[in-house]
Amino acid sequence: MVLPLLIGVVFVTFMLVRVGGLDPVGLLAGPTATAEEFTMIRKDLGLDQPLWKQFLIYGGQVIQGDLGESWLSNRPVLEDITTRSFISLELLFWGIGLGAAIGIPVGLRAAFKPNRRFDQVTRIISLLGFSIPTYWLGLVMLFVFFYLLGWAPPGMGRISLMVSPPEFVTGSYLIDGLIEANWEAAHSALTHLILPVLCLAIVSAAPIIKQTRAIALEVIASDTVRYARACGLKIKTLRAIVFRNSATPIITFVGTEITGLVGTMSLIEYVFAWGGLGQYGLNAIVRGDFTAVQGYVLTLALFSVLIFLIVDIVVAIIEPRSQLN
Amino acid sequence: MPPSVTHQFTWPRRTANRVRGLSRLSPTAAAGVVIIVCFGVLALFSEWFMTHDPVSSYPNRILQGPSFEHWFGTDGNGMDIFSRVIYGAKFGFGIAIPAVIIAVLIGIPVGLIAGYRGGALDEILMRIFDGLRVFPSIILALAVVAATGQSLLNVVLVLGFLDSPVFARLVRAEVLALRSSNFVESAIAAGNPTWRILFFHLLPNTIQGAMAQTAVRAAWAVRISATLAFLGIGIQAPTPEWGAMIRQGAEFMVTGQWWVAIFPGIALIFLVFGLNLLGDGIQDILDPRRRASK
Repeated sequence: MVLPLLIGVVFVTFMLVRVGGLDPVGLLAGPTATAEEFTMIRKDLGLDQPLWKQFLIYGGQVIQGDLGESWLSNRPVLEDITTRSFISLELLFWGIGLGAAIGIPVGLRAAFKPNRRFDQVTRIISLLGFSIPTYWLGLVMLFVFFYLLGWAPPGMGRISLMVSPPEFVTGSYLIDGLIEANWEAAHSALTHLILPVLCLAIVSAAPIIKQTRAIALEVIASDTVRYARACGLKIKTLRAIVFRNSATPIITFVGTEITGLVGTMSLIEYVFAWGGLGQYGLNAIVRGDFTAVQGYVLTLALFSVLIFLIVDIVVAIIEPRSQLN
Repeated sequence: MPPSVTHQFTWPRRTANRVRGLSRLSPTAAAGVVIIVCFGVLALFSEWFMTHDPVSSYPNRILQGPSFEHWFGTDGNGMDIFSRVIYGAKFGFGIAIPAVIIAVLIGIPVGLIAGYRGGALDEILMRIFDGLRVFPSIILALAVVAATGQSLLNVVLVLGFLDSPVFARLVRAEVLALRSSNFVESAIAAGNPTWRILFFHLLPNTIQGAMAQTAVRAAWAVRISATLAFLGIGIQAPTPEWGAMIRQGAEFMVTGQWWVAIFPGIALIFLVFGLNLLGDGIQDILDPRRRASK
């Protein structure tokens, strides 16, 4: 199941970047290049070979873990991607964590009292959250908290230029700074994290609220809960039962949500110049850096597969009966 | 064809139900309709509302704040932002409506055929759709538009194409449930050709769920097309498209000229919000599961 998907992904991205209208040779050679220089660059990149040969060469390299070199930075794509993955994961982790921490309780509360004022207000707020462009929200936050109030640092990177970053342990400047007891670095990393994480949390909370509410409503209408209610259990116990029974679909939803949020996160990284994988991917696509695009897309596919796997494992742990099939 | 005749009697009743359903729209969905109509008027008759030409620049009025002359101020090229925001509504609708129509025209036949035929074709299509879901839609749209050409027409085609699996899936699921029902079997027995069964018997009974999605998918198309323009792919500044305008204003946000990016962003939010409100209301009416939960 996973293997054909990955082969398909490699094949499609390979064809897409080559058959499409992007021409890296023109971008690399510049406007003053002569015809000989063009053919030289073309040969250098292996683009003079027939397509099927190019694909076999590329496929062979990918199997060996070699994603090629970025044509723009001349650095191995794999190296670029691994270092930047940690940078992005930090943002994604805090963002989706905060989004779930807001979204799940709010959605549950809305479901416990459907169509009351709290439900209606959160419903409109969550629809608004669906409608706000992430990048615009980031820009507005920069304007308010950096330009007007001066509370936040400018949206450039993960840590102040005046502070030396901590040693690499987990890849998160905040956690690494805390481990090292480098309070200055940890503080700077924290202040740089707040705005992008807030942005991501707001955008990710909206669908989580909506879905949690729908799931919990379905559970409330189920026979289990009706029976429990008929038994005269306390409202607190009932809510615990509802929560327990909605846990599996909610976790599955948050898992699928994470893959979708990678796109949102890329835009946030772009606005805050975060320097993570998302920004790298966007730049590669816009500039026509074939090898980097291929590596990036493959990484996204692997990441999604990994997330689905983790979700399956978590679900199997909290709900053993799902292991039956 | 007696079976199909008896079935056709259900047409008017369904239509009547649908119309009655629309009058049951909740107040929030009605608010969504009002917002969409307002933007529709702006898009169709933008010439009446614009105070200046949206693409002519006033070199001596660069980056001026909102004033009586320029209600939303001027941008870095000295163009009137109010007129540009109004004109931008044309792009919002001009991209979303054809994109959704394309998605429906591709997705529904594919869903019908895949669900009805089943087998290897269905299996392969579903695998491809599953594969597409691995990627965030914005990355997918960005990559495909960047690779296949950055014209406005291409943006519309790519968005419509990438959105078609949504409709195909919904229709396919419905077809699977109805495939072996009595009215289909009797239509086959009466000797109807396959295309007739698909488009005259199955289609009317299966598109309701897909149609409920159109407003939400239009909201998606508006959002994604603006995002592409914000990233500098597809529509380029100084075209008065909202995403491209936000891109122009991004650098001024940290130097204090907020009006360049804020106003197109607000317009974008309102249109997407209106479409989402309407979509949410339609889903409430048409989705039996959500209706039961109310």
